[in-house]
Amino acid sequence: MRERSTTLAAAESLARQGAIGAAVAACYEALAIDHRDPLVRALLAHLMLEGDFYDEAITEATAAIELDPDCSPAYLVLGLAYDRRGGMSDQSVLVWHELAEVEPDLVTAHVQLGEAFAAAAFEDEALDSWKRALELDPKEARATYNLAIASLKREGMALALPLFRKAGELDPSQDELFFVLLGVRERPPEPVDPAAVEPNREARLAAAALALRDEDLFTAAELVRLTLDEMADDPQALALSAYVYLKQEATNEAMACALRALSIEPTLDTALYSLGVVYARRTGLNRHAARVFIALAKQAGGQALVHVLLAESLLGLQRYQQAGRAYRLAVRLDPACVRARFGLAAAYLTEGRYAEAQWEIRRAAYYDTKRQGLFWRLYDRYTSGGDV
Amino acid sequence: MAADEAASLYQAFVDQDPASAIQVVERARASGVAQDALFDTLYAPAMALLGGAWASGAIDEIAFAQAAVVAEQVGSFVMPSAARRDTGVTVIVGTMHRDHHSIGHTIVAATLKEAGFRVNDLGVDVRPSDFLERVEETGARIVIVFAEMMQTARAALRVREMLLASGREGVVILVGGGPFSADAALAREVGANGVIPGAESAVKLVSRVAADLAAREAGES
Repeated sequence: MRERSTTLAAAESLARQGAIGAAVAACYEALAIDHRDPLVRALLAHLMLEGDFYDEAITEATAAIELDPDCSPAYLVLGLAYDRRGGMSDQSVLVWHELAEVEPDLVTAHVQLGEAFAAAAFEDEALDSWKRALELDPKEARATYNLAIASLKREGMALALPLFRKAGELDPSQDELFFVLLGVRERPPEPVDPAAVEPNREARLAAAALALRDEDLFTAAELVRLTLDEMADDPQALALSAYVYLKQEATNEAMACALRALSIEPTLDTALYSLGVVYARRTGLNRHAARVFIALAKQAGGQALVHVLLAESLLGLQRYQQAGRAYRLAVRLDPACVRARFGLAAAYLTEGRYAEAQWEIRRAAYYDTKRQGLFWRLYDRYTSGGDV
Repeated sequence: MAADEAASLYQAFVDQDPASAIQVVERARASGVAQDALFDTLYAPAMALLGGAWASGAIDEIAFAQAAVVAEQVGSFVMPSAARRDTGVTVIVGTMHRDHHSIGHTIVAATLKEAGFRVNDLGVDVRPSDFLERVEETGARIVIVFAEMMQTARAALRVREMLLASGREGVVILVGGGPFSADAALAREVGANGVIPGAESAVKLVSRVAADLAAREAGES
């Protein structure tokens, strides 16, 4: 465990609370006490980056690395600062490479290294880095998005689109959309006990939804079955069944349940979601998927991911400009939507707008690392001497 | 027809009888239902019936799963055709000599291929004489020349000159790439008939050009 001054501890605390200005002031106080502390320099670099002061972030992160070449959070900030500043892809490649050396199991370092290679037009090296990231974590969505972009550049949209969709399914945001539609945002505090659920429709469906949120498909299926046994034409129960089957990769059963639900209630958003996802997985049904997602957008137009799903179907129909518009709407609704950013990058590539595509990929990287809280993970690991 | 045939297809699913299911599909097709309409008019209603049967308990979980397997087997018979119809129009695509930027031409070539055009992709670093040679080999009437640098963009004029020198003034040259998107006048300077700003517009523009060429040919004959 590294020793930290109380001033640094105060700066850290302020930074974690998002009080950037006060945290910067505390960092300068800490530097006045010990200007050779790499932790302070790394934290200050992070704060500078948060404030979009790229040159200052680069200076402080470089100083931290000079003081301690194993200071992993400083590498992260330095790499991100180079990437966001733009035009520094050579330096960026070196930094991400160093971070991958210092933290060999850090998947994001390999993803970022790949993106830096791609920005510097080293496509083969980029592919190797993303493949390495996927070896470390086969569910790494961003590496898969990058592979999809690489595939688009090399082989066109028809071969890239399945990769975009695969990445999308690895991305937890897709399940989130279903639960937003369902109105269940939080996981239940404890597992749902089907025996304790009141024997009426509302209680059973609510409990089934919670069980699904908790990824307890068996309990959800049991509760839905009880509901259907009492009323076979219950569209909500059928829509939940469709999702249960979808999660088990039983796409035909999911399609059957969703279609039945929609034959009873044609605008039921949860059923539209499952049906759209089933159609999107099938070759040749892009037009059908687009139709379903347009209907879903009418029901839940405020959800960014609905527009992303629609945009992906439009890509499959070669309606790249319409897809671009849908992606831009998704980005407006949720600027942190990595899937929308990569999709928009793809749409830009089809229009020859390479700089804008690259910018979207960089924004995706920014939001993705922020979402992961990667700086603090590395910072805490570094302060604990690598024990976290 | 639709409701009866959908019920028959559903029954074939439940009976785990793919042969009967395919017969139902073929019957529907023979009665005039277009391939692109089979999914909506026949398959989807049958699947909805299947979902309803499972929900009501008319079939149990195992029968549902087995019926879904049959539905999967029949799926390919009712899917709208994935590939677009062959347009019969040959298009030659390549990036100019000394230019190794491949993204633009790759995406456009793939999109045109998907849209049913017969794409002859010459790749990158293509000499003007190679464009001419391929036009002579294939009889293509449309050539798309990509260039991402000013120098190579200007050199696209050589393609037009070679085509004119060989008596192929009727060949339509479309150009794509950053310099042409930035300066429309440059396309005219190199003797191009149009600019392709992106993949989707490439399909629209090439379709229009192909239609114009076909109309001109019909008028001449």
